[in-house]
Parts: sequence; structure tokens; C-alpha cells
Amino acid sequence: MERGLLSAAQVDPVLTREVFGNVSKTSQLIFYLLAAAAVLCFAIGVYRRVRLWQLGAKPAGKSASCKALGRKLGDILFQRRMINRSKINLAHRLLFVGFGILFIGTVLIAIEHVLADLLGREPTDPLFHKGLYFALYEVTLDLFGLAMIVGCCVFMARRWKADSSIDRYPADWVVLWAFLLIGITGYVTEGLRIIQAQTPLPGWSFVGYGIASLFQALDMSQSAATEVHIAAWWFHAVLALAFIAAFPYTRLMHSIAGVLNLMHDAENLGEMQLVTLEELEETGRIGVSAIDHFDRSRLIQLDACVSCGRCEDACPAFEAGKPLSPRTVVQDLRTHLNVVGPGILATTKDAKDPSDGDSVDIHGDTISAETLWSCTTCGACADICPLGVTPLGMITDMRRHLVGEGQLRGAPATSLQKTQRSGNPWGLPANDRFAWAADIEVPTVKDNPEFEYLYWVGCAAAYDRRIQNVARSVVKLLRYADVSFAVLGAEEKCTGESARRMGDEFLFQELAAANIDTFKKYRVRKIVAHCPHCVNSFLQDYPQLGGNYEVIHHSQLLDLLVETGRLPVSTADKQGKVVYHDPCYLARANEVTEAPRRVIAAAHFEKDESRLTELPRNRRHTSCCGGGGGRMWFDDSPGNRSGNGRIDEILNSCAETVAVSCPFCMVMVSDGVAASTSQESVQVRDVAEILVDSIDLDSLPGSSSS
Amino acid sequence: MKILVPAKRVPDTDQKIEVCEDHSGIETGHLPFVVNPFDAIALEEAIRIREDRVDAEIVAVSVGDLEYEEQLRTALAMGADRAIRVDCIESLDPWNTACVLKALVEQESPDLVLMGKQAVDGDCNQTGQFLAAMLDWPQATFASRIKCLEDKLLVDRETDAGIETVELPFPAVITVDLRLNEPRYASLPGIMKAKKKEIAEISMGDLGVQNAEKMHTVSVRSAKTARKRVMVSSSCELAEKLRESLKST
Amino acid sequence: MNILVYLEHDGSEVKKASLSALSFAQALTHGPDDSVRFLLIGENLDKVASQAAKYAPTLVLEAMELAHPIAERYALVIADAVESQQADMLVAASTSQAKDIISRSAALLGGAMASDVVAHARVGEELQLDRPIYAGAVIATVVLKGSPQIITVQASAYEASPPSDSTFAVTPLSPNLDNVPQRVQIIDVETKRSSRPDVTEADVVVSGGRALRTSEDFEQLVGGLADALHGATGSSRALVDGGITPNELQVGQTGKIIAPEVYVALGISGAVQHLAGMKNSKTVIAINNDSEAPIFEEADYGLVGDVYAIVPDLIEQLNSG
Repeated sequence: MERGLLSAAQVDPVLTREVFGNVSKTSQLIFYLLAAAAVLCFAIGVYRRVRLWQLGAKPAGKSASCKALGRKLGDILFQRRMINRSKINLAHRLLFVGFGILFIGTVLIAIEHVLADLLGREPTDPLFHKGLYFALYEVTLDLFGLAMIVGCCVFMARRWKADSSIDRYPADWVVLWAFLLIGITGYVTEGLRIIQAQTPLPGWSFVGYGIASLFQALDMSQSAATEVHIAAWWFHAVLALAFIAAFPYTRLMHSIAGVLNLMHDAENLGEMQLVTLEELEETGRIGVSAIDHFDRSRLIQLDACVSCGRCEDACPAFEAGKPLSPRTVVQDLRTHLNVVGPGILATTKDAKDPSDGDSVDIHGDTISAETLWSCTTCGACADICPLGVTPLGMITDMRRHLVGEGQLRGAPATSLQKTQRSGNPWGLPANDRFAWAADIEVPTVKDNPEFEYLYWVGCAAAYDRRIQNVARSVVKLLRYADVSFAVLGAEEKCTGESARRMGDEFLFQELAAANIDTFKKYRVRKIVAHCPHCVNSFLQDYPQLGGNYEVIHHSQLLDLLVETGRLPVSTADKQGKVVYHDPCYLARANEVTEAPRRVIAAAHFEKDESRLTELPRNRRHTSCCGGGGGRMWFDDSPGNRSGNGRIDEILNSCAETVAVSCPFCMVMVSDGVAASTSQESVQVRDVAEILVDSIDLDSLPGSSSS
Repeated sequence: MKILVPAKRVPDTDQKIEVCEDHSGIETGHLPFVVNPFDAIALEEAIRIREDRVDAEIVAVSVGDLEYEEQLRTALAMGADRAIRVDCIESLDPWNTACVLKALVEQESPDLVLMGKQAVDGDCNQTGQFLAAMLDWPQATFASRIKCLEDKLLVDRETDAGIETVELPFPAVITVDLRLNEPRYASLPGIMKAKKKEIAEISMGDLGVQNAEKMHTVSVRSAKTARKRVMVSSSCELAEKLRESLKST
Repeated sequence: MNILVYLEHDGSEVKKASLSALSFAQALTHGPDDSVRFLLIGENLDKVASQAAKYAPTLVLEAMELAHPIAERYALVIADAVESQQADMLVAASTSQAKDIISRSAALLGGAMASDVVAHARVGEELQLDRPIYAGAVIATVVLKGSPQIITVQASAYEASPPSDSTFAVTPLSPNLDNVPQRVQIIDVETKRSSRPDVTEADVVVSGGRALRTSEDFEQLVGGLADALHGATGSSRALVDGGITPNELQVGQTGKIIAPEVYVALGISGAVQHLAGMKNSKTVIAINNDSEAPIFEEADYGLVGDVYAIVPDLIEQLNSG
């Protein structure tokens, strides 16, 4: 081998290799037949999955913008949604990109071969597989083949060590070994081909060249190489074809389903699908009680899930030992789909009306009610999933059925009943709703009809004396900053957020419709609220019912007022460590993370945010206090409350104050801290309460706000 | 097996109950109305019995005007098989209610009447016992556990002395107490589905019952006083206040 | 006026509540033609009858079949007695036994019945009776139409009638048992393990909150005060969470929703979830070391201070008074 690696400029234009060199015409024919069989097998496998997906109704499609599509494509190509597990993310990227490039390379070869054949060219005279293209092709494929093998080895090592929460199936070993062997036999075949065909400039195929050199060092003759090459080639080819054939029957299917899922515009975090009364009347059901009640995108998600366990790691209910793992929910539903799906398909084929099919109840044996009710709807599972699977959406879909069937009992059912009757979950008299403001001056929409902001007080501040202090603080600050605002007083009703997330869609719609009417009556355009659940509901739920408002969280407004100097913060530096606990529905669902930090920094640290202590899980990766999704109304036994892990984090931070910006967090964190046996004690305060303390309120300018 | 469950329409007692200016009754304009919570427990129990014995039929009955259909719909949504409303514009006292129920029992021939121990508006705690006496049926009041066997009932009763377990044959009247169960929540979809179920209407005349008042309400007045919010300064004074409060009960 | 007062007993002692019923009946009778007599039913009643005779003339109905207060049997013999004695009124204390039995008798006697009476007044010929409705939020004034009238009274509303120096007559009646059915059988009676009433039923509830640090402290302070007041114990969610009290004691939105006559909150701050469970209490008394605690807004009487210091003192005073 006297010809070594040459620079690109010197590449001989006839530099090439014979496609199917050393492979007889008969063998080629057999190969193509096998390839056709493999593709057929692949197509059948995919078709069977698609048929199962079609059991679900077509989701209400939203037209996505080109920009959004571009972003999604980027997410897929650069695997941007994979976070938290850096080593395995890298391995996946290597495997993904390696496999992808090798696949494209193989397709290009096939195109070359077929085209050249059709044009009647000699095997030694390729169409485009030559010259500089060939050189770059060889080096690229060798490089990415290595990427695939390295990625594959990392995956194998992890599987061997079993140190992460990913599910392990025997089939995975088969898939990984297939990857590895395809890679290795590819190189071996290449090396043998270099010897056999005396390929010019073999250095471009640097791995294959290395192997060829190794074989030559072992004194392999060209004729021996020819013999072994054909065997290696067949081994490589059959393995690759088997791999293609098996693709849709293994976890590899996640790549197809995952891409489809990621490209489909699923609901945003914090958003839920609307069910109308008309739909209810038409179908006679609400929510999901059988696998074919899910819409198509959810069924695709079942195949997208690789059971990696990221959702489980992020789930506060799982952390607290509740009978819920988002991963298990998805996997159990997938297994159920595989078991009953073909049967449903068979029956619906005969029945004229697709709803006549005999569906099997998923509640009970497949998914237990305890599992569904354990969810705090914090959204961590949906947010963390690299493939955009939304266990949360499936859970709320199924909750709707349970509530619709009257299967919710006890305290949470009572809270729904009371919300319906009294407009607040405690069932306290509706006409007492404005009693909290009896002794302070708060302008109502009647006092100040030209208000700019509607201050939405919410049930907690209206009735819970602890949270009332938050509302009082907000009122003081808004008045001090001379913001034109007003409250609805007794005309306010629960937003219905909790009811909706518990699955009582129509109670939510009833409450939302009443509130939207009230907003219309008082010409509300801008809303400020101190409850992230209310904020999220106004932003994501209400527009579905025709209520569109400019909505901000109080921390955002306070941030703005501090920024513009309307709230002059006394510069006195305060002592003490402060941590901020991000509420799920603010930080994760609506990406408000910095405004509350700036408010705290202004009040405590002379605007130096870096002095704020951060919890291990912060910003959009925050962990739930345990109060969301209606969990607030459940009678949790001590020590078993979702959110206990978060309480430990807060206590371990050794902060003197934990700042919150959500009434639910305030209650859950206060209760959790008080119930903890830890010696650490920490004050739980809302950002507004923290801010109000650092402002000299004595200079309050009259009642100019009204 | 057939179970008759009377369901009374009552104001939601979570709300502030306010007396009319003329003291003839309470202001109902702003009040949401519900199925009497004890009756809801009775209905829940009937549903649970049916879950064990598939042959059971549950008939919810109410005595009142058209507005009572709302509560019967809720009862149907919870799981009653059908409902009967005895049309009546007056509010009946326990005696007359029991007379209507007796006529209904004679018409429907249920094996069991399951009802709340009292309605949370009148708080009389009489109707079930009256009905049992009128029918000369055995009764078990204040049930906190019901075991429905093939030919008899085993009932745990909550008495001042403790839990008393009694055995009684069918047909029987059972009135239920708070701790028997937690009723299911009937949400709107359930109520809509229940629209397909029938609510039959009968007049008092059809049943041959005439309202003959036994307990006449002269007037009502509010018993609620706002919290006094008196701060005392010593345990001695507090003990005094405690004794006073106990005495006035 | 000829009144029979149903005398409740446990086989050896008369129930004190029946003495309040007696005092209500006595308040209605003044003339020489008027009579108030106890109606005593059961088996082997000598002891109870001699006790009863200290308060009022006593009619005694004894039979083996009447050994236990089973409504379908008692109601029948009571109705028989009212009719045979030509009584105008049957009175009983409003206990669970009376609610079961007397209501059934009332139906056999025409159904003119008022339960839970807390006050009465003669207005002309009419006897007006006050009874609480809407869980005590409203008092209704009612009159009964027809005779005999059947009335149960809340024992707490009438002082127990004192014993007389003399002994009244004890008259045995022979019950007519021919028609008495024997369909209902008592299988078992499980008397309460705890000497305290259940939190959902008690007239007085003493609840403890976060200020209580251990189960022993809870038992000593909250339990001690509850015993002194013959009441039940309750707990805030904080103590249940802390494993200091069992779940079934929890008062609040996610626990028991109660409306006792007197609610004593010891070291409870008064979160809305707790208030939702006890706001219908008639009188609320609160002790808390934080004068700003929201519970004071919801209290009739409040005392600022440490429950550990105040409660033992309070128990002592109640027990001595």
C-alpha cells in the first residue's frame, strides 16, 4: 500500500470503488429480494402501528407557523429537548447522528447503484460515487460510524451498570448489539474490500484502512480477502436488513413516532384541551375510559415513549412514594393498546359507526384511580420528555372520565361541590368574599370604573387569613405606586383552574363563563393576579372560551414598578439568606422566573440577584409544592405528601426566608415546614410581603388610586 | 330488589342562612339548593348495594314543586334508575311527607326505603320513623354500616351508648347517619347523561293524600350572632365564659 | 293537662336528660287536675323505678320482650300507654333513643310532634315551641295541631328537675304484648372504647393545634380540658400531619365538618381550611400565644397566652367549680 492519504486537491477524478464489488449478480439479486422483504416487513410494522394510532380521533389541529416548524425541526436534528443526563444525551446524539449519516450514506449508494444500472453503465464507472465526492463520502461515513459505535458502547455500558431509571428489556440488547455489529462488520467489510479491490487512496476510509492494514500485517492475501470479504459483506448486509425489518417492532419505533409527535402541535405546558357540550352530547362521554378515546396524538406518544424514566425522575408524586409514575402510565397504556387495539380494530371494521366498537375500560386494572389522583399537574413530566410525550395530558383526560362518572369521593369531591355552590373551594359564603378588605381601602370596579388593571384577588386571599396578607400587601404597593386598579369584590368567582385540572371540565366552563361575563361588564382588559394558577388559567384556559386579556403575575407588575422607580425601595441592606421557590404554573408553564427574583433582590440585596440563594431545582426545573392539580383538596396522610422532597430542599438550604409567589405554595410549604421534624425553621413569605417591608409606606400618597 | 330513596331539596347550609324581614321563613334568593346531604348518603348506599346485587332497582322520590327536578336529576346522575316527583307546592311537615311516602311505597312496593336521618333544613329527624310506623315495617335509624344479605339486613346504628348492631327482615325503613359513606359527586356530564332517565310526576291527589298540617311554623328568627370577639385576660375569666357558654346551650 | 314523660335509663340509673324533660313538663302544669308522670319501660326495673319515684309518679311497663329499647316494640307499648292513660302530651329528652322510639310512637299517635325543643311559651291557648333549624342557625317557633302532642326537648335547654323529699307512687301497668312485633333483633352492642364522645356528635369540642408539641401534651391538655367539659377532642391538620393526633380527629375542610355548641381552639392559628370545618359552631373560644392569630377573629372569647400555662389552670378551675 504505497498510496497514502492525499490532499483533496490531488484527488484523482476516477477515484471510486465498485458498488457491489466482489458480489455476484445472483447475490445482488438475492440481496435486493431480501431488501425488498425487509422493507416490506418494515412497512407492515409501521402500518400496524399507524392503524392502531388511527383508533384515536384526529386531534383538533392548530396551524403551526413556519418558524415553529423550523424550531421543532431544529429540536429534532440537534436533539435539543434532551436535558438533564449529559453523558447519555451525548451518547444518544452520537448514535442518532451516526446512524442517521450511515443511513443516508447507504441510501445514496443504493441510488447510485440503481441509477448506474438503469443507465447501463459499467460497475466500475459510477455516476457520482467518485472523485472528491467519494473521498468525502468515505471519510464522513467512517467518522460517523465511529460516532455510532461509541454512542452504542456508552448505552451498553449504562445498561450493564444499570445506574439510571430507564426501563430495560432484553430486546434492547439485541438492538444495541445489532447497532454495534453493523458498525463493526461495516468497517471489517470495508477493510477487506480495500485489500480485495485495491481501492485507490484508501486513507480516506481511515478506519477501514486501519483494519486493512491490520489484516495485511497478519499476512492476509488479496485472494483470502476476497473470500472473507464476501462472507463479511453478507453478514453485514443481512444484519442491516434484519435491523430494518425489525425496526418498527422494537423501541427504535420511537424515532418515527417521536418525530411525528414533536412535529405535531401538541398543547402547551399549562394548556388543556377543550371539550364542548356539543361534543359531550354527540359522543355521550367525556374524558377517556378506553384506549380508543384518546386522540391520535396521544396514541402516537405511546409509541414515542422509550421509557427512559426522565419523567419519573422529575415527578414529585413518584418522589413522594405515591402510586404514580408518569412513565408507567404511558407504558401501561401502550401495553394495553397492544393487547386490545387489534381487537377494537377488528370490531370497528364490521361496525358502521366507529363508536360501536367494543372498547375495554382502562380504569381499574390498567390505570388505577389512585394513580390518576396522585398527579399534581405540575407539568414536570411533559416538560422533561425529549420526545414531547405528555403523561400529564393523558392523566387529565382520564380524570375527566372519573369525575364524569361520579367516581371522585371524599374531600376533593366536596371541594368541587362547594366550588360549584359557593364559587370557592371551601364553600364559604359567596357574599363574604370581599370581607377581607373590610378594614382597608380597596377600590372596586364600581369605585374606579376607569381602572387600568383588574386586581384578581382569588379564593385563597379572599378567605384564607394568611393569604389575605398577600392581597393587603399587593394593595398597599399598588396604591403607593399610584397604579390605577380595581377589584371585583364579591362578584369574583373561582377561576375554575383547580376544577379543570381535577377533570371537572364543565364546572370550569361554568365558572369561566361567569367570570368572562363579569369581565365584559366592567370592560376588563388587563389583569394582575398573585396566583399563578389563576394567571395560567386566564392565559391558557380562558382564551378557549373567548376571554382574551393581558394578564400578568403580581411579581411582574411589581418588578416593573420597582424598575421604573414607582416603588422606591429603601436601600438598607437586609441580612439573612433568602431562597425563592418557583411555582410550577409560573416558572414552568409560563416561563416567568426572573421577575420575582428581581423583586426579592430589590427588597433584600440591593438589586444584586446573585445573592439570592437558589434551590437545587430552580426556574423551569422547579419541583412542585404538592398543592397543584387539586391535590390541595386531598386528605394526604402525613409524610406521604408530594412536595415533601421540596420541603427538605428548602430546609437544607438553611435560608431564613423562603420566598413564594403562589398561595398554594404558601400553604403547602408552610404546612410542610411546620410538620417537618427538622430543626431548621424558615419563614414563608410572598414576594409582595417581602417587598412591602422594604418600602416606606408612611409616605403613602392619599387614596389617589381610586 | 327495589330500593326507594327519598331525596329532599334543601338550601346549601354552607351559605349564610338569613331570615326574611317578615320572619315567615328564610331568604332563598341567593341560596344554591342541594340534595339533602343525608339523603345523598342514603342514595350512595343504595348504589353500593346495587353494585353488589345487580338485580336492585333504585327509585329516587321527592315531594315538591318543579324545582325539585334539579335534585332528582342529581340523584339520577349519581345512579338512581328512575325518579318520581310528587307534585306539591307547599312545604310539608314530616307527618305529611311520611303520608306521601307511604302512598308511594304502597304503589311501588319497594323492599327497602333508605333515607337520611334528617333533612338539614328542618332538622326534625322524624320522617323515616313516621313512615316505618305507618307501614308497620321494622326500622333501623342512624345507620353507620349496612349489610344487605339475601333475606335480612344487618345494620350498625349510632346510638348515644355506642354502636348497636341490629338484624331486621325485609321490607324495612333505614335512616342513615353521616359516617355511613361519602357520596359520589355528580358532575355536569353525569347530570346530562341522566337526562335520558325518566322523572315521573304524580299529584298528591293521585296518591290520595291531602296535606293536613300537624306542625305549624309561626315564625322564624336568626339564632346567629356575629362572633363576640371578646378578649379576656385571665384563665379565671375564661373559665367563667366557658361555664356561661355551656349553660346557654 | 295530663303529661307522660318517657324516662330513659340504662337498667340501673335514670338518664339525667330525662330529668330535664320532666322539668319542661312540670313547667307546663300548674292546676290540680294536671299531672306529670314518668313512663318507665324495660325489664327488672325495681331499682330504676325507686329512683324515678323521687322525682315524679312513675308508670312502669315491664316485660321480657321489652328488655332492650327496640323501636318497633317500645313505640307500640308507649302509644298504648298514652292512649290508655288519656295523656295530652308525651315528652322525652332529645336523645338518640328518643329520636328512634318516640318519633315512631308519635306516628302511631297522630303525628303532632316537635323535636329538639329549646324554649316554650303559652300564647293564649297555644303552646308555642322554639326549635333550632338549619343546624342551629335559625330558631323556628312552631305550634302543634292535634292531640296528643309529642315533644322532645334538648336536655341542655332545661335544668334537670330536682328530687322531691317525698316518694311518689310507682304504678305497674301490664303492657299489651299481643301485637308487639319481634322482627328486629339486637345482635351486638359495642360500647364506646373512648369515654369521650365522637367529634362529629359532641356538644363540646376541644381542639388542639400546632402549639401542642407531643401526643402526651395533647392528651393531657386538650384531652384533659375535653374531659372537664364532657366534650370530644379534635385536632388541626398540623397535628395530624405531625403524627401527634390520629386522622379521625381532624377538624377542617379535609377532615370533619362540625357544628358543636362550644368549640375550644387551643393553639390553633385558624387557617381557612380549619375554619371551614368549625365555623358553624355556636360559641368559639380560642387560646393562642399570637394575638394576631386569625382564630381570634372567629372567636367569641379569646385569651392570648401559652396553652401550656393556661390550660392546666383552666382545667383545675372547671373541675373545682
